[in-house]
Amino acid sequence: MRALIALLLTVALAAQARDQRTASVGMRAFVEQIVIPGTQLEPAPSKFGAPVVVRVVKTWPHGEQLRYDLEWVGFEEGTFNLLDYLVRRDGSTKEGLEPITVEVTSVLPPGDLEPGDLEPKTSERLGGYSTLQVVVAVAWGIGLVLILFVGRRRKPRTAPPETPATLADRLRPLVERVQGGAASDAQKAELERLLVAFWRERLDLGDVKAVDAIVAIKRHEQAGALLRQVEAWLHMPNPPRDVDVQHLLAPYRSVTADRFPPEAG
Amino acid sequence: MTASDPAVTRFVETRQFLDQIKTRVGTVVVGQDVVVERVLIALLTSGHLLLQGVPGLAKTLLVAAVSKTVDLAFARIQFTIDLLPSDIVGSEILDQKTHEFRIHKGPIFTNLLLADEINRAAPKVQSALLEAMQERRVTIGNQNFALPAPFLVIATQNPVEQAGTFELPEAQLDRFMLLHRLGYLDPEDEKEVLRRNTRLGVKREGKGAVARTEFDVLDGQDKGSADQLVRAMEDVQEVHVSETFIEHVIEIVNRTRNHPLLELGCSPRAGISLVKASRARALIHGRDYVVPEDLFALAEDVILHRIRLSYEAVAEGHTSQRVLQEILTEVAQ
Repeated sequence: MRALIALLLTVALAAQARDQRTASVGMRAFVEQIVIPGTQLEPAPSKFGAPVVVRVVKTWPHGEQLRYDLEWVGFEEGTFNLLDYLVRRDGSTKEGLEPITVEVTSVLPPGDLEPGDLEPKTSERLGGYSTLQVVVAVAWGIGLVLILFVGRRRKPRTAPPETPATLADRLRPLVERVQGGAASDAQKAELERLLVAFWRERLDLGDVKAVDAIVAIKRHEQAGALLRQVEAWLHMPNPPRDVDVQHLLAPYRSVTADRFPPEAG
Repeated sequence: MTASDPAVTRFVETRQFLDQIKTRVGTVVVGQDVVVERVLIALLTSGHLLLQGVPGLAKTLLVAAVSKTVDLAFARIQFTIDLLPSDIVGSEILDQKTHEFRIHKGPIFTNLLLADEINRAAPKVQSALLEAMQERRVTIGNQNFALPAPFLVIATQNPVEQAGTFELPEAQLDRFMLLHRLGYLDPEDEKEVLRRNTRLGVKREGKGAVARTEFDVLDGQDKGSADQLVRAMEDVQEVHVSETFIEHVIEIVNRTRNHPLLELGCSPRAGISLVKASRARALIHGRDYVVPEDLFALAEDVILHRIRLSYEAVAEGHTSQRVLQEILTEVAQ
């Protein structure tokens, strides 16, 4: 498995490696991921006037061999073996190694060492940037028009927000449930709170503290009688028998929001 | 229940006892009926009460008056920065004669303890007191002592002068069943205070005399007994709490927990305190069952010190008081 992974890695790296065997005079070139058998190689001591200079960029173990990234620069036209510019670190011979042949080319004719004369060339028309600006502005304007008027989806019509249920709307079903004997404790509690709220609104006690509002409602002739009886029915351990819930809540069964307009305190 | 029913008779007697306390306290403390009611609620439910108000609102006089009308042991501790836990709880003292350590019990061994300006003491003193309030026991040396029963702490704090004070954290505030905010008296009540003060006169002591104070007015008056108080405490436990009432309590408590402006809502202890305090209020008002009016009347005192506004709400200028009133109003909408 390891060998397979190593092989795959090697193939992947080799695919990316540069193998530049030809370069012009003075230009850098690379021969990468090249496997050279034997012990480690290093650049030979430099000699003045050597036609090629080789540098070992990186070395990796490759099984029992070594893999190299080499960088070379040619200074004279011709064909050279890079191995001639490398030596074994342990001093052993390089016999039996395949040559690493590179070719150094020259772009100048032989013997021509001076640069050529410059040729006159007409300059580009001035104002290219301004033209570009106009083109971009026109394109932007067209884009804006397209966005604004073409292909814009019409906003789907949303349903008008539901108006919150009035107190009367919430009161009626609770009263019906209580009268039907099907109300839970939570619904009875809600009914009591709604009755307080109903009378609070009707007696214009909205800005009064909750406890003061309850006291004021209890003082009211009609509301007080109702609230006391509801309290007796809901909170007394043994509710009095004369509390007739059906009769008590009957007026609230058909109450509507506009049937009991708020009256002045 | 009929008039000859023993339970009714007892209920009537309890109500008379509570009315007598209110009447007696009313002879020295004017215009503080709600505070008297809150003290009675705390007394009847073994809860603790924190009174918040500026100096001079008769907080100390009120507590002293209640203790004198019910024949309860009363002690007052003025909290200061240099107070030590042993100054409250007590300590072990080396007896010079016997050469043995003996226990010296502190002022906490009383029925009614007035902790004046509790926020002036260091946190370790506050926590020593609050621990005793919770457990109703204290440890001195290696010995554990139960506090007398009934045991009630009425603490005060001044909301204005905050320099050199240690604000009580929420967890410790939660130990107080009620936090009542005292306001100034109505002009009519204040006139009555001044009129009564002019009639106090002087008190002869030996060959000399001193000016009489409101504290002297209750001396020599009839006192209610501790037995009557215990019976009243038992009667509170008989006050009926309907399922509908519990639904109301849960509704309010939950709304504080889910309110967008509140960072901290009511603890379960707040709900328990609401029910306990409502039962006591119902008894004081002559009912053997609680009604929503009890709940709404006590909500501010029970809930307000247990909730905390969020940072954003404070920055926007909201107040806990207004948020709570909104919650109470919304509950009944």
